[in-house]
Amino acid sequence: MRIVVLVKPVPDTTGQEHLGPDLRVDRMADPAVLNANDEYALEAALKLREAAGEGTVTLLTMAPAHAPEALRRALAMGADGGVLVTDPALEGADTLTTVRVLAAALARLEYDLVLAGSDTSDGGAGIVGAGVAALAGLPYLSAAARIEPTAGRVRVHRISPTGYDLLEAPLPAFIVATQALGEPRYPSLRGIMAARAKQLDVWSLVDVGLDPASVGGAQSTTRVTATRQPPAREATRVIHEPAAVAAVQVADFLAARRLI
Amino acid sequence: MPGAIWMVAEQHGGTLARISTETATLARQLGEAAGAEVVGIIVGNAPGAAAAELARYVPRVVAVKAAAAATTAEAAVVASAVAELAAAELPAAILLGASSDGRDVAGMLSVLLGWGVLANATQVTWDGGPVVEMSAFGGRLFTTSCFTAEHGIVTVRLGATTAEPASVAGQVITAQPASAASLPTVSLLERVSEASAAIPIEEARVIVAGGRGVGGPEGFRIVQALADALGGAVGASRAAVDAGWIPYSRQIGQTGKIVKPGLYVALGISGAIQHKVGMQTANTIVAVNRDPDAPIAAFADLLVVGDLFEIVPALVAELHSRSA
Amino acid sequence: MTASNQPAAYPSAAYRLTDEQRALRDAVRSLARDRVAPRAAEIDRSGTFPTDLRELLATQDILALPFPAVYGGLDADLLTICLAIEELSAACATTGLILAVHELASLPILQSGSEAQQARWLPDLAAGRRLIAFALTEAGAGSDAGAVAMRARRDGDEYVLDGTKRFISHGSVADLIVVFALTDPAAERYRNLSCFVVEVPTPGFSIGRLEHKMGLRGSPTAELLFDGVRVPADGRLGAEGEGFAIAMRTFERSRPGIAAQAVGIAQGALDVATRYATERIQFGRPIGDQQLVQALLADMEAATASARALLYTACTAIETGEGDPARWAALCKLVAGDAAMRVTTDAVQVLGGYGYLEDFPVERMMRDAKVTQLYEGTQQIQRLVIARSMLAAQG
Repeated sequence: MRIVVLVKPVPDTTGQEHLGPDLRVDRMADPAVLNANDEYALEAALKLREAAGEGTVTLLTMAPAHAPEALRRALAMGADGGVLVTDPALEGADTLTTVRVLAAALARLEYDLVLAGSDTSDGGAGIVGAGVAALAGLPYLSAAARIEPTAGRVRVHRISPTGYDLLEAPLPAFIVATQALGEPRYPSLRGIMAARAKQLDVWSLVDVGLDPASVGGAQSTTRVTATRQPPAREATRVIHEPAAVAAVQVADFLAARRLI
Repeated sequence: MPGAIWMVAEQHGGTLARISTETATLARQLGEAAGAEVVGIIVGNAPGAAAAELARYVPRVVAVKAAAAATTAEAAVVASAVAELAAAELPAAILLGASSDGRDVAGMLSVLLGWGVLANATQVTWDGGPVVEMSAFGGRLFTTSCFTAEHGIVTVRLGATTAEPASVAGQVITAQPASAASLPTVSLLERVSEASAAIPIEEARVIVAGGRGVGGPEGFRIVQALADALGGAVGASRAAVDAGWIPYSRQIGQTGKIVKPGLYVALGISGAIQHKVGMQTANTIVAVNRDPDAPIAAFADLLVVGDLFEIVPALVAELHSRSA
Repeated sequence: MTASNQPAAYPSAAYRLTDEQRALRDAVRSLARDRVAPRAAEIDRSGTFPTDLRELLATQDILALPFPAVYGGLDADLLTICLAIEELSAACATTGLILAVHELASLPILQSGSEAQQARWLPDLAAGRRLIAFALTEAGAGSDAGAVAMRARRDGDEYVLDGTKRFISHGSVADLIVVFALTDPAAERYRNLSCFVVEVPTPGFSIGRLEHKMGLRGSPTAELLFDGVRVPADGRLGAEGEGFAIAMRTFERSRPGIAAQAVGIAQGALDVATRYATERIQFGRPIGDQQLVQALLADMEAATASARALLYTACTAIETGEGDPARWAALCKLVAGDAAMRVTTDAVQVLGGYGYLEDFPVERMMRDAKVTQLYEGTQQIQRLVIARSMLAAQG
């Protein structure tokens, strides 16, 4: 079972993020961590490989050149290696470019399954997965709460408003993971030490067969024109009273706002 | 005549999704501002009922009857059908709800049409094209964007507009997809209903959420009691879900759901950024927490400091006595 | 005047933690905070060896750090091992010692064992299945390690061990005992000892007294009795008469481990004192506002930071072979031990009366710190080692 996991280094939300001069997220500025949702996809991949008793888990990401640090944790969790597609021309790339680059990279890899996280904490489009699957010609199964490969096929429980839909597709297929698949493991010490020997290939746009002139900020289909701060909330009102008194005050508060 | 404004609707079990009533309202309002034609598209095996409902919100509905939708996962079928229509008619913008289903279709459409996407819009206006506001950095900043080309796709967050039927119902025309889906299909073997799946939490107008402070699955009975008293749904922070006290479908936050209810009550939730991004746009936020310095104190409208196991039952009793 | 008086051309790489070392340190720190720290007070109060934490260190592969990968270890360098000891010790000095002793007692096998001997013992040690102790000290042979009196008499294919070892850390919980005994009483001092690995339990071996100590109370310190204990000849490490040299060779990698324990203890105490200074209100404001308290904290920080910097530099130099490793090892142990004692004593001071109570961890940390000035070579011995190295370098 050869699995590729799409991952994205994103700014740590606990820190202070920055926008660049084009008002896009400045990815060079801050320490990057792995997008939280991608860790669930990676964990699912590792579990599938363990269940199969054999196979490989390969990371694939499009990111700035200093991305390897963020990928270290993923390698320490157990991924076998990875591919980083990076190119100065990709700065300011929009989601359509990201989709094209990832699909082009996938075309140069061999796999049975591609897994991705449901969306990223830094832009949250949640659409790259569907786009990559479409461009790569792969059956697309999203919102997966359970993944069960069988011979040459895979079954997925897709979360629905009323429960789940049972989907099935032939391999290779593209699956978007959800948190319901299971808590990501902590990298063990052994994993941390083993990560140093793992291979991270670095590919440029030319390596994936794309013309740098056709991508990047200048070719973007979208443009940020302005930014603003959200309006400040009114100061928090604090109630610190015995329960019976607090209950009356809270009910009054809700009534005043016509919530009860 | 400027390009039309389209929206693609979602349905669940034959009923139009709440998010689509909002997106449709938004499309109609933008059309009025732009002087552009507005079309709502719904694709399904039996789209009739949902199409009729959709027609309450937009002047024209195209109901595409695609038999494949009965036995295959919808996104590929919907995206193929919409792309076929859009390639011919070239609307200026296609709006979709930023739901799980909406995002899937938007991603596929983007590739099929070669159009850009602006995602998770919290507000959309029109100025020669869509002007889209989105929140960034966990809500610390709002950005405004537009498309550099003549056409684009926008996914719109739940709660960005208030759904409002038009004064006159629109027309429904039916259509068939001309060709088979241009994307690989996925077989739909079975639709399984689970008793625990209540109203989707994103649609609840009141949410009472429990966190680490609730202490265990038994503690969630108190959360449920308050939710019932307020007519709302139960939600949870990631800590409670990871601890196994409540299913993931209830989780609110960065790796769970983003919600925008009228009232959000956070019980025993610290309010760290990963949770905050899921609920910070709620109209009213009430928090109950033992720690007066918890992060949630910085953005709640009302903070009740104390033991939630004493305060919440007292509040439930007070609410019952007022409604009696 | 040459530059040779510096600990030999200060290592050009100084030290810089790699991403991997930082990841590892953070992983151990989380573990120490979540699983070890909550147990520390109870371990000290009950004086019981924490077998649960020993198992935790084994399953988390922390005990695998010092061993080569071919035996299932993690092939960690000295600095990495010290990072782990430091982080564990900040939470609980007894637990930090589990790793430190595991490392130092294995050194004779790692440094002087044959391939067959390494293959026999190292896999179990790396997996944490077996514990090991280093038995050199006797009632009459402490600082004067050359005064070992325990006998090892050759008898055909075996040696017969007779004697008593004292103050052996982990002596009562170890499965392997590395023992130093006299094989040739007639030979020159320092060339008359040999080193053996004894697998216990074995006939003739018994545990004598267990010491009641000021600190490190969860770590068993045992008297070991050898009464006609038989060891096969292939249980001898190195050649006959090489025992003392084998013991000395271990210090350059064992002393930094104890220095790491000391730095960890100091940091743990410093964290408690700093936090307390922001919370304790007297005269209407936090005591951290008082300059005399600030001075204490600042000096504690300076002592800890400099001990740490020296330790990390020493580890780097010992690994890269720059300068005299014995001098580096003695330096970092000397400075760190004194820093730990000073910082923990001052931490009690910052907490005032409360620092004297068992309710707060600093009195335990102060009691734990004292031993870092005593074992693995007293501070006085460290000074001798350093001065001799300096004078020898002068030529």
